[in-house]
Amino acid sequence: MRKSTLFVLSLALLSAADLPSQGRGRRGRRPTSAPTPPAAAPKQEEKPKDPKQYTAIVGGDVYIGTGQRLTGATVLIADDKIEKVGHNLKLPEGTTVIDAKGKTVSPGFVIVQGSGMGAGFSSPFKDTVNPFAPDIKQGLAAGITSFLAGSTSSRDRLGGSNAVIKLAYGDVEGMVLKENSVVGISVPLTRTARDSLKTSVKAAKDYLAAVAAYPAKKAKDPKAKAPKKPKSADQILSVLQGKANLWVAFGGGGFNPFRRMAGGGGGASDVASIREALEIAKMFGKGVVIQKPTSAWLVPDEIAATGSSVIISPRTRLPADPKNPDRTGTNIASAAILAKAGVPIAVTCPSGRFGGGGVGTNGILGQDLNTPNVDAAYAVRGGLENRKALRTLTLDAANIMGVGDRIGSLEAGKDADILILDGDPLHYSTFVTTAIVNGKVVYEKGKEALYRHISRPKH
Amino acid sequence: MMSFRFPALAAAALLFPLTATAQETKPVTVKPATTKPAATKPAATKPAEEKPSATEQPPARAPAPPFKMWHPRTPKDEASHKVAKWGPRGLPSPGYAFFGAKILPITSAPIFDGVVITKNGKIEAIGKASEVTVPAGYERVDCGDSTIIPGIVELHCHVASPSFDLNDTVHPTNPEFRTLDLISMEHDQIKVARAGGVSTVLYIPGSGSNMGGFGTLTKTWGKSPEEALVRFPGSLKIAQAGNPERGSGDLGSGMMGMSEGIRMTLLDGKKYWQDMLAFEAGTGPKPVFDPTLDLISGLWRHEYPLSVHTQIYQVVLQTLQELRLELGLWTVIVHGTFDGYRLSEDLLAAGLPVAGGPRAYHFDRKTGSFQGVLANYANGGELGWRQPVYGLGRDGIGVNTDSPVVAQEQLTLQAAMGVRLGLPHEWALRALTINAAHFVGIDHRVGSLEVGKDADLGIWNGDPIDPRSHVRKLVVNGTICYTRDPNRPTW
Repeated sequence: MRKSTLFVLSLALLSAADLPSQGRGRRGRRPTSAPTPPAAAPKQEEKPKDPKQYTAIVGGDVYIGTGQRLTGATVLIADDKIEKVGHNLKLPEGTTVIDAKGKTVSPGFVIVQGSGMGAGFSSPFKDTVNPFAPDIKQGLAAGITSFLAGSTSSRDRLGGSNAVIKLAYGDVEGMVLKENSVVGISVPLTRTARDSLKTSVKAAKDYLAAVAAYPAKKAKDPKAKAPKKPKSADQILSVLQGKANLWVAFGGGGFNPFRRMAGGGGGASDVASIREALEIAKMFGKGVVIQKPTSAWLVPDEIAATGSSVIISPRTRLPADPKNPDRTGTNIASAAILAKAGVPIAVTCPSGRFGGGGVGTNGILGQDLNTPNVDAAYAVRGGLENRKALRTLTLDAANIMGVGDRIGSLEAGKDADILILDGDPLHYSTFVTTAIVNGKVVYEKGKEALYRHISRPKH
Repeated sequence: MMSFRFPALAAAALLFPLTATAQETKPVTVKPATTKPAATKPAATKPAEEKPSATEQPPARAPAPPFKMWHPRTPKDEASHKVAKWGPRGLPSPGYAFFGAKILPITSAPIFDGVVITKNGKIEAIGKASEVTVPAGYERVDCGDSTIIPGIVELHCHVASPSFDLNDTVHPTNPEFRTLDLISMEHDQIKVARAGGVSTVLYIPGSGSNMGGFGTLTKTWGKSPEEALVRFPGSLKIAQAGNPERGSGDLGSGMMGMSEGIRMTLLDGKKYWQDMLAFEAGTGPKPVFDPTLDLISGLWRHEYPLSVHTQIYQVVLQTLQELRLELGLWTVIVHGTFDGYRLSEDLLAAGLPVAGGPRAYHFDRKTGSFQGVLANYANGGELGWRQPVYGLGRDGIGVNTDSPVVAQEQLTLQAAMGVRLGLPHEWALRALTINAAHFVGIDHRVGSLEVGKDADLGIWNGDPIDPRSHVRKLVVNGTICYTRDPNRPTW
């Protein structure tokens, strides 16, 4: 009996501790009201609070990240969080003021597919990050403040080992925002794998229902046994409980005549395979994130109906399969068509031989992560509203990575990951002049060798 | 002697072990500007003793002289070409009057609220809408707030056919190959070219061997490949280094060996040309016709250029010295990348133009900075030398994609990235159009909006350089061959 009480208690604590707003602790973080042992509570009240460090970015054109823009507004930062955004804010005494007149202010770019920039390769990422990796500065110069590192797909069963990495240069504790906020699977599934997944999801759902019903059952019958957690169901449970987002990748090849010449970078995904991804969404009863569905533009409403999101590379070009022309092929208007149907979108650069998810020094400019805004720009070229396009690199990308409550927009209470730029964030000539991560200035164009010799042309 | 640190690219280190020797051939002195640009000798032959002392202030230099491409222009017009075959002009097309908010003719000032009148493949009139009369029977095409520019010219393209086997590496040099017979107007990739506002391409073989073969200048639309043809040969594709090392033929793969192969093949053609000249003058027997040597002889007649895939400093130096200066051939650098820009002043003096891309940046390990390849070629600057050197300027710079490595529609993105890293916007527009046309000798047909030129028009919804802008219509030889479908502008 005591055992089961302990179990329920620990379960309650666990779920409270796993609230998404709880990040990895970092220096200077405000004490939160998250579960505190009752005995410790009175002590904490006596403890003198650290005075907050305030920073204000004043006078810039502020892109909130939700699609709104405030002209000549102020962003007030308290320690590592955004305190307030608006016009004519009253600044607390001792606020450090950063003048952004004539500049634009935007949420840091959130990249759904990245590598390098101080990230480790596998879990636990917090033990393998390198906050002094030189290419972190390169990432910041590109406007990137967070990205997803690690693997996001797995054959036949849920898997992947990944983390949302922040480009908190020099701050080892600020580098990992969340581990395994994404769980992945790739389609097509074998029939066995599909059946087994179906069974496991059902078992996990039953288990969660039993856990929910257990306290009432226990009250009736003190001898009632606690529900038993199904074996190896952790990842399914975390998806069902909303602790992780489920990403579906396509591993099945498909028609790709350019695989050799352009590096290919995985197969095409025709309507049939997109529907298979949506089947998984239905199985879980939740929207999934579909990775690079090349023909998603053909079924936007089906995707929207499941509440799913997509990651697309607007510049990937695959012609229709001549044997199946109505259900295959890419379309530069994909982002515009999907956005119109209400599907959230994150953009990423083309993969393959000459693309890539890194900020290299040997790539092709405009193809790699040195200019992530180019991909959003191509979504605009395809018809996406310019006003909405920034979301593909900020809030929608953050939501797709399962960290939209922490990053992706300049709203009170969110992490202070902010860019000050010398122009429209999506303009090709715009440079990041200052990047702020977790409330700290981590990049200044004039102080780094990378781009300080280039001044933005006036035209 | 200054020492330069080359980028520690693994490939470069492997391929070019003689870095130090080659560096020493380049003296560091940069002379004060002379009044005549022609008097500036290529640096490679400059004496090294005029080094200014440390205390001496270098005299301020005059602005760089304008770029003048080295091209004797001996065949004055298309008719006097003996080897090159020109495509037809003035084919029937409907009469149109394209009205646009902004017209950028490139070679003259922008026209606001203008009109371009076209018929039978050519531009008949251009000017302010209020001043130009639209002839009766011409269809008025209102392009609203569009920006109208000339069709874009691509100098390094492999997309005019569905074939990817552009790297036949039978011999170390393969001048016997040609792309003329591969062109397909309905290939998927060429549709992307049209959606990207590209109207003319130099479709060349790949860089798997030192000489890939003869390329073809073709429009991206035509009722048949014959109608679309601009000129064959467009150029002879040479890959000086950087790819052919993979191995082709049965010879060695060092830089010296590769250069020897290129030189010997060109000299074979020179002999054929001289024999042919002797025959034409009545002083020699008629040489046995050889289709390959005949095409090479066209290079010696200066009917078409060499387009050379050359990138890093050393290889660009080879291109400059061997092809342009020693052999005296009309040469164009395409696929210009890495730190070849350090030779910008020497290229200016030798009249050797550069089309840069698709890499567009070079990470300079000495300073830890990103250098714009196009910007540095065009603007000059210190570029690692002790004193600033001249750049190629407004007229010496082009841009290319190497499509489909980078999709053809991203040619303007290459220009955008060039502008991002310091190339003036106006120069970027010229690089995409008139400069590219000029480099390969077709600027009398395309590259700007002028009366009498081909009616190749890109109708854009905004700044053509901005990747967010799109093409609303593309006109090639007076025919509207692309109209944007908002539901599927391009695949």
